[in-house]
Amino acid sequence: MNKQELSAMVAEILQGMNIGQVQAEEQCSPLQEPMVKGSDYKPTKPVRDKIDRERIATPVCGLARNDEKFLGDPGEVEDISALDLRKLYLQENAQDKEGFARLKMKTPARLASGRAGARYKTLTMLRFRADHAAAQDAVFFQVPEDYPRKHGLVAVQTRCRDKDEYLTRPDLGRCFDGENEEIIRQNLPQKPVVQIVVGDGLSSAACQANAMDCLAAIRDGLKLKGIELGKSLFVRYCRVGAGDAVGDITGCKVVCVLVGERQGLVTDKSMSCYITYEPHTGVSESARTVVSNIHAQGTPAVEAGAHIAGLIQTILKRKVSGVGLHLEEAL
Amino acid sequence: MAESLLSVGIDVGTTTTQLVVSRITVENRASGFCVPEMDITNREILYESEVAFTPLVGENLVDGGKIAEFVEEEYRKAGIKPTEVDTGAVIVTGETSRKENAAAVLQSLAGLAGEFVVATAGPDLESILAAKGAGAVAYSQRTGKNVLHMDIGGGTSNLCYIRDGEIAATGCLNVGGRLVKVEDGRISYVSTVVESLWAAGASPRPTGRMEVGEGAEVRKLEALADVLVQGLEMAAGLREKTPLWDALWTQECGEYGERIATPVCGLARNDVDFRQGRMEVGDRWVVSFSGGVADCIREDFDSFAFGDMGPILGRAIRKSRLCRGEYMLGEHTIRATVIGAGCHSAQLSGSTVFCRDVALPLKNLTVAAVPEDEQTDAGSIARRLAAADSGKAVLALPGYAGAGYAQVAQLADAVLEGFGDREILVCIEQDLAKALGQMLFLRSGKPCLCIDRVRLPAGSYLDVGVPVGPCFPVVVKTLILNG
Repeated sequence: MNKQELSAMVAEILQGMNIGQVQAEEQCSPLQEPMVKGSDYKPTKPVRDKIDRERIATPVCGLARNDEKFLGDPGEVEDISALDLRKLYLQENAQDKEGFARLKMKTPARLASGRAGARYKTLTMLRFRADHAAAQDAVFFQVPEDYPRKHGLVAVQTRCRDKDEYLTRPDLGRCFDGENEEIIRQNLPQKPVVQIVVGDGLSSAACQANAMDCLAAIRDGLKLKGIELGKSLFVRYCRVGAGDAVGDITGCKVVCVLVGERQGLVTDKSMSCYITYEPHTGVSESARTVVSNIHAQGTPAVEAGAHIAGLIQTILKRKVSGVGLHLEEAL
Repeated sequence: MAESLLSVGIDVGTTTTQLVVSRITVENRASGFCVPEMDITNREILYESEVAFTPLVGENLVDGGKIAEFVEEEYRKAGIKPTEVDTGAVIVTGETSRKENAAAVLQSLAGLAGEFVVATAGPDLESILAAKGAGAVAYSQRTGKNVLHMDIGGGTSNLCYIRDGEIAATGCLNVGGRLVKVEDGRISYVSTVVESLWAAGASPRPTGRMEVGEGAEVRKLEALADVLVQGLEMAAGLREKTPLWDALWTQECGEYGERIATPVCGLARNDVDFRQGRMEVGDRWVVSFSGGVADCIREDFDSFAFGDMGPILGRAIRKSRLCRGEYMLGEHTIRATVIGAGCHSAQLSGSTVFCRDVALPLKNLTVAAVPEDEQTDAGSIARRLAAADSGKAVLALPGYAGAGYAQVAQLADAVLEGFGDREILVCIEQDLAKALGQMLFLRSGKPCLCIDRVRLPAGSYLDVGVPVGPCFPVVVKTLILNG
């Protein structure tokens, strides 16, 4: 299938989504002409023999349109990942089409996607694969080398050597070798009240999109309570538990880890925050207070930061984080 | 972690005065792993007063003393004290609000009815409260149908068009059941509205003028009712507008924000099926009725059972174009407005907000609205605050969706410069009040209130109550009367 065919197909599917269309067309659909005759079929030109992995890994969103080397000719095919899932209505023969479409506006879930025989429609399938690809890209995408320096962060790396090891060995993502431990010891304050850790986690895109805005608002909020933050740490190949090791090394009262979340198919830029009181290696997972869904469509990073600063104050006052804190609040 | 608010609604209408006491439940609807999101999850009516006639001195003066007595008595019956009341609204509705002493009555009641009961009046807000109180908004949200709601009271009809669960337009007509009153078979009162129909050369004219003291003739009143109902049909876009429309349209009725760009009259023409000759209503929207007259639409009463033309007007509505399609009566009819005032006047701010050293509650804050492209223009902010007349003003900003720290900081600088020496009160639409608030306070060290997720239309007023959990109950008003 070549690009024109794909274009034509996407255009046709998009047209088919038009809710206001006359019912009559649906009721007696005539046998459709095949879109391309066999004789006209030309195979797509191979794009590039070998695609550099680090290349794919760079800007996730701009990839489809901007990276000429990757796509050959850009801009000819509709970017299906730009379609609003809430408006992507493909269900035929619904009793109340407008009602269904209205309900669908309330969720980005893949509802009202119709079917072709027993299978997905082409657009549904393509979109699913596009979103899945974006999610995978967000994992493999590296936070740039100069990111920590640009933002005044102390940069370290867990024991993981690369992304593959990071994904296959979660235990190595929670600790540091001697060299990195020394960097932390040398550059971060000892026994601070609060230590912030920024980690790439499973989405470097999320970390880059949100961490600095969030951190700045946390800094403001803590300042209001008379808590000054020292330097913050950037951890490459970071698991949430890396914060516990930071606790061991610095002896901080509270560690606050800002880390990219495992992607869903709706957004690849969602960040979480894990706050632990008196962190140390082996601390129970239930001792963490979590704020998740920090992204532009969820809680905006700046506002989340202000909220997190408040949470940290509460945790310091109650001397407990995680499940214990929530239980106390409920009483 | 549910919290509750005790809310009181008091409605002083043209004809009746009522009071309801309700309990509003506020809960966090977000999971424990997210930023909290407080929401009103239940509205329970604890006490409803009798429907009492509004005490008048003469024809036009509301008897403030008697109303105060009524409220004190109902509080006693309901077993509540003014100090226990958290929120609610005292509203003077309909024709009553245009009478000289309504403002004074409002103020004396607001003092009596608890610290954060809001004194308010105005046909736009009334229309919204009636539609919510009648259940028309909930019905539209539940079914996805569009609803044209008419609350037909003694002096006015409040109109509200609800599109897919959202208020889309409001309006008000001088059509009511007590424009003419009858005592012992004789006409005892004729509203100036009826007179103005003649003066305005309204067409068609009601047959035969009416004078106080003459015998009440059903036929004559039926003719008047027919003319009034034509006004309602015009509002619904089911009849071509004539000068009658202008004579019936309530002038004080203005815009409720930009979202309601046109009052019902305009909207009916553009948006609601306007098909002359074919009077099927209901394929695009449903008509819903509340108010005292609504009870007379389905049920037949003796023409003068209530000492007015209500039953006659009700019958005329039943026979009109409005009722040829699908129509319904509200869950609450005569009580719709008071229930709206009691249960629906308060809303909640966002749950991540900022308040430092500001005494609450705050009442009657004038809204200084700044458009999106002037948010970082300190000069524009200062001008608009200065223009927002006397007293305290709250700055209303749209904010930016998904704003970064630098953008919020820029906003904070402009806001601080714009406020100068004034107390810093900010209300922003987008979710960033806590971040903005702490920046404002860090930079200035001055008292500061910064709330979000509330839309304040230009020309409205804001009341802010003491916090419920992490958020603040607020009431947005369209018109206040100063005592």
